[in-house]
Amino acid sequence: MFTLVTLVARWCLLLLLCIPILAGLLGVIFPAMGYFPAIGANAFSMQVFATLFAIPDIGQMMWLSLFTGLGSTLLAVLAAFCILATFYQSSLLVKVQGVLSPFLVFPHASAAIALLFVLSPSGIFAAISTRINGYFSHVFTSSFVNETALPASNEGALLYNDIGLSVLIALSLKEVPFIILMTLSVMSQPLVKKKLTGYVKVGAALGYSPTASFFKLVLPIIFSQIKLPILAVLVFATSNVEIPLILGPNNPSSLAVAIMYWFNHIDLSMRLLASSAAVLQVAVSAVAILLFLGIERFVKNMAKHCLATGNRFFADTALRSCGVAIMALYIILICAMVYTVVMYAFAKQWHFPLLLPEGITLLHWNTALSALASPFINTLLLGVLVSTSSLVLVLFTLESEQLKPARAFIANAFSLSLFLPLLVPGVAFLYGLVWFQQLAFQNAVWFHTYIAHMVYVVPYVFLSMAVAYRKLDNRYAMVAQNLGKTPWQVFYHIKLPSLFSAIMIAWALGLAISFSQYLPTLLASGGTIPTVTTEAVASVSGSSTRLTAVYVIVQAMMPLIGFMIAWYLPVFAMGQGKRQMHISNYSRATTAEPVQQARINKSKNKSKKGVIDSA
Amino acid sequence: MLSLEEIVIYRDKEPLLQLSAEVAKGEVLTVMGPSGAGKSTLLQAIAGQLQAPFTLAGQIKINDVVMNNIDAHLRKVGIMFQDALLFEHMTVGENIAFAMPNNAYKNKRMKRDAINELLAAVELDGLADRAVTTLSGGQQARISLIRTLASQPEVVLLDEPFSKLDVALRSQIRTWTFSQLKARCIPAVLVTHDKEDALAAGGEVIELR
Repeated sequence: MFTLVTLVARWCLLLLLCIPILAGLLGVIFPAMGYFPAIGANAFSMQVFATLFAIPDIGQMMWLSLFTGLGSTLLAVLAAFCILATFYQSSLLVKVQGVLSPFLVFPHASAAIALLFVLSPSGIFAAISTRINGYFSHVFTSSFVNETALPASNEGALLYNDIGLSVLIALSLKEVPFIILMTLSVMSQPLVKKKLTGYVKVGAALGYSPTASFFKLVLPIIFSQIKLPILAVLVFATSNVEIPLILGPNNPSSLAVAIMYWFNHIDLSMRLLASSAAVLQVAVSAVAILLFLGIERFVKNMAKHCLATGNRFFADTALRSCGVAIMALYIILICAMVYTVVMYAFAKQWHFPLLLPEGITLLHWNTALSALASPFINTLLLGVLVSTSSLVLVLFTLESEQLKPARAFIANAFSLSLFLPLLVPGVAFLYGLVWFQQLAFQNAVWFHTYIAHMVYVVPYVFLSMAVAYRKLDNRYAMVAQNLGKTPWQVFYHIKLPSLFSAIMIAWALGLAISFSQYLPTLLASGGTIPTVTTEAVASVSGSSTRLTAVYVIVQAMMPLIGFMIAWYLPVFAMGQGKRQMHISNYSRATTAEPVQQARINKSKNKSKKGVIDSA
Repeated sequence: MLSLEEIVIYRDKEPLLQLSAEVAKGEVLTVMGPSGAGKSTLLQAIAGQLQAPFTLAGQIKINDVVMNNIDAHLRKVGIMFQDALLFEHMTVGENIAFAMPNNAYKNKRMKRDAINELLAAVELDGLADRAVTTLSGGQQARISLIRTLASQPEVVLLDEPFSKLDVALRSQIRTWTFSQLKARCIPAVLVTHDKEDALAAGGEVIELR
């Protein structure tokens, strides 16, 4: 019976991931071919594409998407490997994870907004450099310098520039932690870890430096396992909307942003254009993947020669200083972002180039909190609903995998379908999905939004849960089974309690992903369900900087609170159980245990997003 | 009584091992052989936990009932590994209570008495409320044994259960285990590398190649 339930859950999960995406793709392909009955377009033709390619800036738009996407991913991969090669053998690794994890949890939108504040012509860096300039000219010329009269420095030129440099940088800033944590979680899989530890020891014995060992011995082993997630990152980067919307050039904008404008245009006939552009977006992302794979093959071939040369070093000094420099950059940026956002949120006024705001007020908080009350509740409700149900689905699916292993072919198809939502650009299929949803149940807005969120939340919850689940010593289940317990009893009494902290982490991750969704929420709900994220993005172009800062803080705090609960609830629950025990002598020993466990899980969480058990 | 009638275990259609044996109540059958000979796989087959790529031919009977198509949790076959595998989210007493059949005792008090009796049999009286992580290795091994016995199994499988214990502890735990099995008239199958284990078990010995 229970076996049957888990099997049903497994199929539900598969369908949940595949149907919306395939339907969504159909929903943009038809209009792109000129079929859109709602506005009386019934004939199939390539006319729409002709119109699309006739747009003067279309080439520039495609180039912008490709350049920022591929560029940021390549940069992020390089930076991630630099950092890993520098720190993977060092005790600082835990701290590196600690510094990078917040970047992972914070929604893209809030990271982009914070970066916008920092990099803007009136931002903190501009202020500091103006002050330093002012100080030096004061010293050297001894003339009176009026601070406010100084021209803004050049840093601001980075923003909105035509080739999208700031978009590229913001994307890679977000991607580096993801790639690092993913790689680390692959490296921490028991079998891989054992192998790698041995390899590195052999490498050291043969006189290879740690950096050289990393590139020559570790990377070749793990790269195949992190390739799929990197491709997912690449697709995301080429088709992301929030970041180019907030930081990117407007004339022309990136393809994804243009698609969004066209779809939301009052003139419904623009939908045809938007759909064809969505199809083009899929092509752009596919080209980016092909280019990446080409580069990978090229580098692999080059590297083969390098392996046999016997060179014991691998640009050690340069790479190490790069690794340290990137980490320093992260720390500086994080400090600057936190400082600026917090200051803005409480500032009465903050004039350039002052380093401190003039006066402190809670006014923005009052305004924001009353405005955010209902978006906040929407966000929370949606997040809890989506995360909890995807967790149940994922747990049953994993259990079904162990109760009734599928054939290799089906297992492969299944793991590919998990990556489907991550490999198909959101802007491409979401609009088509909305079209279908409006045809079917026009008023079930919450249901549509729920489905759109599930598509993005389920894969991450699955990836985060799968590691812990497969790591669980299967013999515990065997013992329980042979004690006469049914599969359900084994699942409920043995597996769930043993996995409690991992389950909480996966749940918090699901919450964080759901909280951060911008486009799915906006589209599926047709704008009728405002969330903190949609409000925050909307506020960038509208109201005051200081109000936006409050939004960013609220947005950043929400997932953090989720993770706090996930870290401390298991400790607390175990503490409760402990109090029931009568022998006090041992209570100290048992207290130490859960706390340690929680720490381990905490660091495990840091590698949460990651981890792909290769199929 | 456990009968293994013309058992053949295949790995991807290649026969991995073949054997026939009968284990009477209170007897121990010892299976020895190099790693990879399929010793643990044989135990999984008897326990009903054989997974792909392994398949089974022949009949496994417990008290003359064919077990081949019965689910693992209904077979009443207890299994012990080299690790004690006590459930860490439960106390010692809860571990044992978890193993006991549902309606075995009329009320909580009787159940509690039964747990204490089992604990006393291995000289661990009064440990029922302890967390399992506070126990020594030897204590854990003994709890694991009485947890298996508490489930009132018809057959017990021992998958190198003594190999992680140090020498002094090993012979003691071994004696405990075999005498408890004998006292309860439970047939057992022991898989081991250690000749001394086989000698102490005292039953038939099968060598796999």
